[in-house]
Amino acid sequence: MAYTLTRANDAVAQQSASYPLGERQRVEDPMKQQVHRSVFTGKLEDVLNSTVNWGRKNSLWPYNFGLSCCYVEMTTAFTAPHDVARFGAEVIRASPRQADFMVIAGTCFVKMAPVIQQLYDQMLEPKWVISMGQCANSGGMYDIYSVVQGVDKFLPVDVYVPGCPPRPEAFLQGLQLLQDSIQEERRPLSWVVGDQGVYRADMSSQREKHRDRRIQATELRTPDSV
Amino acid sequence: MSTDQSAATVESLTARFGDQIRYEQPTLTGMPVLWVSREALVDILEALRCLPEPFEMLYDLTAIDERMRSHRDGLPAADFTVVYQLLSVSGNRDFMLKVALSEHDLTLPTAIPVYPNADWYEREVWDMFGIRFAGHPNLRRILMPPTWNGHPLRKDHHARATEFDPYTLTVEGQDKEQQALQFVPEDWGMKRHNDDTDFMFLNLGPNHPSAHGAFRLVLQLDGEEVIDCVPDIGYHHRGAEKMAERQSWHSFIPYTDRIDYVGGVMNNLPYVLAVEKLAGIEVNERIATVRVMMSELFRITSHLLFLGTYLQDLGAMSPVFFTFTDRQKAYVVIEAITGFRMHPAWFRIGGLMQDLPKGWDRLMQEFVDWMPSRLDEYERTMMENSMVRDRTVHVAAFDTANALAWGVTGPNLRATGCDFDLRKKRPYSGYENFEFDVPLGTNGDAFDRGQLRIEEMRQSLRIIQQCIDRMPEGDYKADHPLTTPPPRDKMLQHIETLITHFLQVSWGPVLPANESLQMVEATKGINSYYLTSDHSAMSYRTRIRTPSFPHLQQIPALMRGGFVPDLIAHLGSIDFVMADVDR
Ligand code: SF4
Repeated sequence: MAYTLTRANDAVAQQSASYPLGERQRVEDPMKQQVHRSVFTGKLEDVLNSTVNWGRKNSLWPYNFGLSCCYVEMTTAFTAPHDVARFGAEVIRASPRQADFMVIAGTCFVKMAPVIQQLYDQMLEPKWVISMGQCANSGGMYDIYSVVQGVDKFLPVDVYVPGCPPRPEAFLQGLQLLQDSIQEERRPLSWVVGDQGVYRADMSSQREKHRDRRIQATELRTPDSV
Repeated sequence: MSTDQSAATVESLTARFGDQIRYEQPTLTGMPVLWVSREALVDILEALRCLPEPFEMLYDLTAIDERMRSHRDGLPAADFTVVYQLLSVSGNRDFMLKVALSEHDLTLPTAIPVYPNADWYEREVWDMFGIRFAGHPNLRRILMPPTWNGHPLRKDHHARATEFDPYTLTVEGQDKEQQALQFVPEDWGMKRHNDDTDFMFLNLGPNHPSAHGAFRLVLQLDGEEVIDCVPDIGYHHRGAEKMAERQSWHSFIPYTDRIDYVGGVMNNLPYVLAVEKLAGIEVNERIATVRVMMSELFRITSHLLFLGTYLQDLGAMSPVFFTFTDRQKAYVVIEAITGFRMHPAWFRIGGLMQDLPKGWDRLMQEFVDWMPSRLDEYERTMMENSMVRDRTVHVAAFDTANALAWGVTGPNLRATGCDFDLRKKRPYSGYENFEFDVPLGTNGDAFDRGQLRIEEMRQSLRIIQQCIDRMPEGDYKADHPLTTPPPRDKMLQHIETLITHFLQVSWGPVLPANESLQMVEATKGINSYYLTSDHSAMSYRTRIRTPSFPHLQQIPALMRGGFVPDLIAHLGSIDFVMADVDR
C-alpha cells in the first residue's frame, strides 16, 4: 500500500506559505523498511501500531461544528435512529482542543475560511477531517463569489462524503472509512522513538471499488408507488 | 387586501407631496408601487407610518441595479433603484416606494429614525450595491468580509468563484483576516469600562453550539449581565440572489430549498407562486392541495428540529433524540413522495415534479396518527416542567409594537398575541379551504414562542388530515405553454411543438417583463420572493426576504440588561437558521 508522508516541520511557517502547511510526499509502507532492520522489532512495532490505531479509531471524538444544511444530516446521524455510539464516536466536544476529528458539514464561505483554519489549528494531533457534502468537497452547486470551492483548498481532508446533503447513513459510512484508514496509519509511537513523520495510507476510492457492481444495475424501481 | 384603501392612500400622498411623487408603476406585486423623490422619502415614510391604519413595519428594503435592464417602459430614469416595502398589519396591506438614483450620486437619507430595523437593511444595500445612507451610524459591510473589494449585486461584479484564481489562504492572509475580524468596542460606540467596572468582551461564535450555525454575537459583559451586544452575520452568505441572475427560472428552484434549509419544499412555494404570477399560470386544486400538504409536513419537521434544539439549549439533553425520531418518521413519507429528504426541490413552475405515488395516503396517515401522542408527551414533560418554565417564562419578552417595529413575523410575532397569519389573512394556494386555528401567545416571551410551535404542529396535522381525506383528482401539471418542464404528450404532435419543447427544456421558459411578489407564512415567519423579469430566460433581479434576518437584528434591543443564560434561552426560542439570515 502507498503512503503519504507529512513531517511535523511546520512549526515555523513562512508568512507567504499557504495552507495546508507541511510538505507531503508519496512513500512506500514504512513498516517494510523496519522489517529489513530486524524481524523482531518490526513485528513488535507492527503489533503496537495496530493496537494504538485500534484504540484511536474506536474512540473518535467529533468536534461539534456545523456550517449549513449538511450539519442537520450530521446531527441526525448523532441521534437515536442512527446512533453514532455504535462506532464509538458519540462524545461530541464543543471545544476543538478536546476533539479528534472535525466534520466540515456544509458550505465553506470565504468569510468563514479563516475561522475554520483557526479552529483546525486549535485541534491537537492526531486529528482528522471529514468533508461532508458537495459544498465542502468542491463548492457544489455554489460556484459563487462568496464560497470557497472546496475546503481542501486549505485543509487536508481525509474522507470525502458526497451528497447534497449526504444521508446520515452516508456520513456513517464516511466515518467507518476514516476508521479503516486510521487502522493503516503510522504515527510516531512517542516523541523520542523512531521516525517522527506521519504516514497516511492512500485508500482507494469507493467509486472505483464499486463501479463494476453498480453499472450492473439496468433497471431501477419506478417512483410510482411507495 | 383592499385596493380602494390603497388607492385612497396613493391619492392622499399625491395631494400632500405633489410632484415629489414621480410615478405610479403598474406591477403584479399586488400593492401600489410609487416612485418618489429622494428629498421627500423620509417624510413619505413617516406619513405612511402615521396613517390611521398605519404601516407599522418596514418589511423589506433592498435595491436593484437598473443599468442593464432593457424593458423599462415609462419608468423614471435610474441607474439604481432603492426599494422600500411597508406592511400594515392593522390594515392587512402593503405599500412599495422606489427611489431612483444616478450612478454618480448614490446617496440617500437613512430611514432609521422612522423604522429602526432599516439599520441592517441599509448596511446590506451598502454592502451589496455600494449605495450610501447619510446619517447611518454604522454604515459598514454586513454580509461580506470587511476585507472584501466591490459590491457583489452590481451587474458589473463577477458572479462565479471560478472566474478567478482558486482560493488560497496564506499564513499572512490568515493573520490579516483574523485581525479584520477583531472586535473594536470603540467602533460601535462602546466603552471598555465605566467608573467601577472593566467590561468583558466575549465572542459567542462564529462557532458556538448555541449559535445554531455560523453566527457571531459579541457581548459586552459586566459579570453575568449583558450590557450590550453586537450580532455579526455574513458567515453564511451563499449569494443566492446573485445566483438567481444566472440560473433559468426553472433551475433556480433547488437553490430556494437551501434558503431556510430545514423548510424543504416550503421554500419552493413563494418562488413558484411568484413565477406563476409572472407567467399567468393557474394551477388546479390537486396541485395546490399537494403543495399545501407537503409544506405543512415540512413545517412540522422544522418545528420538531426547533423544539429539540430549543430544549437542548435550555439544558435538556434527551428531547432532541425524541424529536429527531419523529423527524425520521416524517422523512419516510417525504422520501416516498419526493424521492429526497431535506431538499426535494419538488415543486415546479405550473405544477409538481410528479404525481403522488400509489399508497402515499397510508404512509401519511401513519405519520399523522403517530404525532399527537408525542406532542402531548413533549408538552407534559417539558413545557409543564418547572425548570423549563423558570428558564423561559418572562424571559426575552417583547410586545406587539416592539415586534412590528423590528420586523418580526411568524410564530414570534404571534407569541405576542398579534393575530397575523398569512394563511388566514391572505390565503394562497387554497388555504381558505382548510379548517385550522391560529394559535396565539400572550406574553411574547421565550416560553410562549416554544409552546406556540407545539400548537402549530397540531394545526398542521389537522391540515394534513384534511388533505388526506379530500385529495382532489387532477393532473399534476397545469396545461399552460410556460409550465416547466412542459407536459410531454404536447411535444409529439408536429415539428413546431417539438421545437417549442426543445427550447423550453434547454433554455428554459421566457417570462414576460414585469415584477411580481409572493409572500408565504413560512416555518419561521414571512418569506417572500420579489422577482423582476426583463423578458428573458433568467431573472433580472430576485429579492429574497427572509424572516430570520430581522429576528436577529432585534437581539440587542431585547438583551440589554439581561443575563447570559437568558440570552441562550432567547437564541433557542427565535428559531433561526443562518441560511435564512444571510442567504
Ligand atoms: S452540500 Fe448541499 S446540503 Fe450540504 S451544505 Fe451544501 S447545499 Fe447544503
